[in-house]
Amino acid sequence: MRFNEKELVSLSRQPSEMAAEMGMRGPKKGDVLKKRLVKLVVNFLFYFRTDEEEPIGALLLEQCRVQKEDNQSFSIAYMDEAERKYLFECGSEEQCQKWIDSIVKASYEFMRKNLIYYRTEIHRLTGKDPLEQYGISEETRFQVTNGMQFMPRDTSSL
Amino acid sequence: MKLHEKILTHFLSCTSPVDKEGYLYKKKERTATYHRRWFVLKANLLFYQERPADRHLLGVIVLEGCTVTRSKSDGQFAFSLVFDRPGLKTYRFAAVDHQTQESWVKTLLLASHCYLSLLVRDLGRQYEEAKQQQGCGESFHSSSGSVLQQSTTNFSLLVQNPTAVVREGRSSSASSVLQAPSLPTNVVAKRSPKLWPRRNAHVTPLNGPMPLYGEWPLVGFDPLQEFSKLHDYYGLEVKKAREEWLRRRPAEKEHSDKDLIDLG
Repeated sequence: MRFNEKELVSLSRQPSEMAAEMGMRGPKKGDVLKKRLVKLVVNFLFYFRTDEEEPIGALLLEQCRVQKEDNQSFSIAYMDEAERKYLFECGSEEQCQKWIDSIVKASYEFMRKNLIYYRTEIHRLTGKDPLEQYGISEETRFQVTNGMQFMPRDTSSL
Repeated sequence: MKLHEKILTHFLSCTSPVDKEGYLYKKKERTATYHRRWFVLKANLLFYQERPADRHLLGVIVLEGCTVTRSKSDGQFAFSLVFDRPGLKTYRFAAVDHQTQESWVKTLLLASHCYLSLLVRDLGRQYEEAKQQQGCGESFHSSSGSVLQQSTTNFSLLVQNPTAVVREGRSSSASSVLQAPSLPTNVVAKRSPKLWPRRNAHVTPLNGPMPLYGEWPLVGFDPLQEFSKLHDYYGLEVKKAREEWLRRRPAEKEHSDKDLIDLG
């Protein structure tokens, strides 16, 4: 599958509040913990070999489950599959929690739900649709859609 | 750089909303020819394949750090995705008609994570202010009017959307605060949620006091389990309306104090 690699690499170089060295372990059997520079930019988690300019890889932070693991670690899992669970070891419990919160809040779908909530509430409190002033009230992406499901198996809320 | 494809294809096929899809012609730079592709826009990702039913994805474009421009020089109904930094690409597209072109241009302009982030922050501010307005709606506040205007102006300056109508106006809550104090009840919308089109009650959070930004939404919450809370929450409106009605009734008639219907 083709993708705009150069543009994504350029994105990975943007300044980010969440960038730190930590241990990272891939999901496959035999994968070992390696020291990586992990960086959160928009809804992607980039990881670099320390002191390298181009990231090794990028993880899209949508449709994933982020949870705390033992000690000072957290994991990101996709499709509830063990073969798609990435482990991250932070320097402290505090740092670990901060990363979990940041990753959850970075998800586009999470932000969209927040937007819809605020839109609904502002309308209820003031009688006005706050998106009208920006001329975007009819945009499909800001509507409450029927496509959203809240079944327990659906991890889209993360 | 490795982009974990399975994660992306899973995201494409899952139940999160499709923001736009349709055929567009995509220009192949090497041969300067246009090929018809089926595009699916989800969040800040633009996927493309040959046909809608295809399992095989041809590619994806991450929509961060780019602008959308209409290109008259590229022919009819053409537009481009321009990644502004040196050495980066420009993707060229053509639509079949003006309406399709306009629709895609507008949607792509609003598709980035950065844009959504700004918009959510702005609305978060407006929400906090609207809550405060409602809390002290009975008294006269002259300072909050200017604060509200400032927050809306800040965001509109950041929006570079040529097709959006950016109006610098005060929100209604600001103007009602500056009117006579007897009007604050108009600030609260008395309509039940179901009268507002396209609104889905299941998306509204259900716990009593409003959660702070960042604490909402609840991970994996099930609206069906919380329905009694949803019911109570919207019932507050009914309760308020009823109290007002009772208050407004003339006090002389004694029987007006009793309920007309015995609710037991």
